[in-house]
Amino acid sequence: MKKLAAAAAIGGAAVALALALLRRRLGRLRSDRGLAALLLALRGGVRYAGNAPRLFAAAGEHRERLRHDLALQTAEDVAATLGTMKGVLMKIGQMASYVDDGLPPGVRRTLSRLQDSVPPMSAELASGVVEDELGLPPDLAFARWDPQPIAAASIGQVHRAITLDGRAAAVKVQYPGIAETVAADLGNVSLLRRMLRVTAPSQDVDALIAELRDRVLEELDYRREADNQQLLAAYFDGHPTVHIPKIISELSARRVVTSELADGARFAELASWPQEERDLAAETIYRFVFRSLYEVHAFNGDPHPGNYLFHGGGRVTFLDFGLVKHFTTDELRPLMQMARHLCVNRDPEAFRRSMEDAGFLRPHAPLSTETIVDHLAVFYDTIREPGALTITEQYASAVVRRFFDVRSPVAAYVSIPRSYVILQRINLGLFAVLGKLSATADWRAIAEEIWPFVQGPASTPMGEAELAWRARNRAQVTMCGP
Amino acid sequence: MTAGPYAAAADLVARSAAAFVSGVPENPADDGLFGPGSVAWRVSTDLASPIAALRSLLMQALHPLAMAGVDQHSGWRRDPVGRLAATSAYLSTISFGERAAAERAAAEVRRIHEHVHGVDPVTGRPYAATDPALLLWVHAALVESGVAAGRLFGTPLSPQDGDRYVAEMVVAAELVGVPRHLVPANLAELGRYIASVRPELRCTPAARESMAYVLDPPGLDEDVAAIWQDIRDGAIAAVPGWAREMYGYGAPSLTEDRRTEIRQALGVLDAVFVGEPGVLEARQRLTLRVRAERPA
Repeated sequence: MKKLAAAAAIGGAAVALALALLRRRLGRLRSDRGLAALLLALRGGVRYAGNAPRLFAAAGEHRERLRHDLALQTAEDVAATLGTMKGVLMKIGQMASYVDDGLPPGVRRTLSRLQDSVPPMSAELASGVVEDELGLPPDLAFARWDPQPIAAASIGQVHRAITLDGRAAAVKVQYPGIAETVAADLGNVSLLRRMLRVTAPSQDVDALIAELRDRVLEELDYRREADNQQLLAAYFDGHPTVHIPKIISELSARRVVTSELADGARFAELASWPQEERDLAAETIYRFVFRSLYEVHAFNGDPHPGNYLFHGGGRVTFLDFGLVKHFTTDELRPLMQMARHLCVNRDPEAFRRSMEDAGFLRPHAPLSTETIVDHLAVFYDTIREPGALTITEQYASAVVRRFFDVRSPVAAYVSIPRSYVILQRINLGLFAVLGKLSATADWRAIAEEIWPFVQGPASTPMGEAELAWRARNRAQVTMCGP
Repeated sequence: MTAGPYAAAADLVARSAAAFVSGVPENPADDGLFGPGSVAWRVSTDLASPIAALRSLLMQALHPLAMAGVDQHSGWRRDPVGRLAATSAYLSTISFGERAAAERAAAEVRRIHEHVHGVDPVTGRPYAATDPALLLWVHAALVESGVAAGRLFGTPLSPQDGDRYVAEMVVAAELVGVPRHLVPANLAELGRYIASVRPELRCTPAARESMAYVLDPPGLDEDVAAIWQDIRDGAIAAVPGWAREMYGYGAPSLTEDRRTEIRQALGVLDAVFVGEPGVLEARQRLTLRVRAERPA
């Protein structure tokens, strides 16, 4: 874990602050995989994405209910609630809760408590922000506007509305003044620096703070999230099962982002659905993740159960694009090589070399290639052999355990290069979601469809439908990397 | 002097939080001594109140007789955190509790005070905790600290609100046994009173020792300790220069950046505080009552 932690340069700031904040529970965290989880998850382009329109049930995830009786009524209320580091701490707390599955329950509780302490905006206050951003008050900018927010977002809230051209929309509105408040707090960093030195003495403190500042400030501009959502919505347009709500650009700005409203069953409801339905939903999620990665060179880093809406027949709506990492071709190549050498060519030495090339494995580590494969191949277990395979919760937690296994003989030689950290959400998050669905599929066959170096035939009905979609789109879609 | 070792300050925040929560009623029958529209509520819930509390201790300890009473009777050395928490619980009850609860708490304090008397080893003077002069000093130091800490690090009171605050607080002094006519009722009277007591003030060994403890409590979690430096510097910056000189503390430089940093530390400490059980709910109860009071 030392190696992992040392590798995890970014997010140490967030971690340290989360640590300071949670100091009572932290005695544990420090020696616990939770810290490694935090460090990793927070590092390298990872932003908590809880501020996107998670509709309907969303509020229930972190808040029992929105406390309208305590609504913030003025910009001064916002400053009092989120000023003097509170907003910064909240963002950091959210970044930390992003690795939910790696955190002890006590820490999770405390983080959600921090969120609980921020009430929604009053109708008037929210309306004022919409007017500032869109030039018109909400009842003129929209045909209908629901003044009661339907969900909390980390630094804002989500309202339902009908656009003037009759589309149902979800409108996320940011707290007024929060960007300035947070920027001011992040402009005076001596306290932050001191706290970090206590908690993360081995880290490059100023680099951490700079990274933290960039990340938080970036997240305060909703236009970035809108761009990501638009990019992926364009790619998946017409997809047989993947649905991404379209951004309504003319009603989006820095502090307001409007997208089509989506409805559907929440993740928890899937428990009562037949297994075939759950398998189909899982297949769609799987295809979404790897199509995005290999074809759009983008990875939505938050495969959180709250970010899906289910419609049956495998159709899934994907929400929340606050945390999207873009990859260059050069960054993607080694990942493909690793999968290819291990799973397709079955060439362990080449697998080892590509891990070294990517920076995952220190060159000349005094380990046999067999040992390396033994310990790292668990991450590829679902795709090494063809055939139907069920991803169980046990498998998902075995992956997490292995990931944070400090005693592993390879631990000392493995690190996660910064640009790949977010991909660990596949190991830590995607498998957790698929495991909760006890999803069965021939994952290898699906992977072969998607792997650019295989481009295998359709292996399922959904695969057939995808082929048709791709054929239709090939002509018109021009994919652009970052 | 009963020199003994001081207990560690672990749980300082948790116990202060529990103390605060204990004073905020669930369904109060009345608004208590001050009520949601009062300046006293604003001061008690101000972000700067930890600095106000610390400043208040620094000032109170400079009265040799008041200090001797605490040092010799209150179990201060054995359980300093417990003693501070008891004070916090008392202040929370007086500030936010129902009138009857506030009166009960004050009666209990008066009862305890009856047993607190002795001779100050430094000045050789006898003291009694029931002495209105000592009680008044403790009261005045508290009230003045609320104003001073808010001015530097919190939400400053307007001169009118400052006067109102001092006047509102008179009842707190009366409750513990200070005749009303002796209690300053506006900022100017408060200032004159404090100046009048100044010749009696000095930093006794007991004061030095106990303030060294609260300014740098041993056994704090290191993360809280990092914040505590700022709270301490804030409190030292907020006491009058003559008080700093008695203690022999240097004047902390208070640049605009440093002030921001101290305010940030207060914010972080507050977030930690809100993380303690019941604090958020207690705050929300108070906020709702304040809202109900606000003109629509």
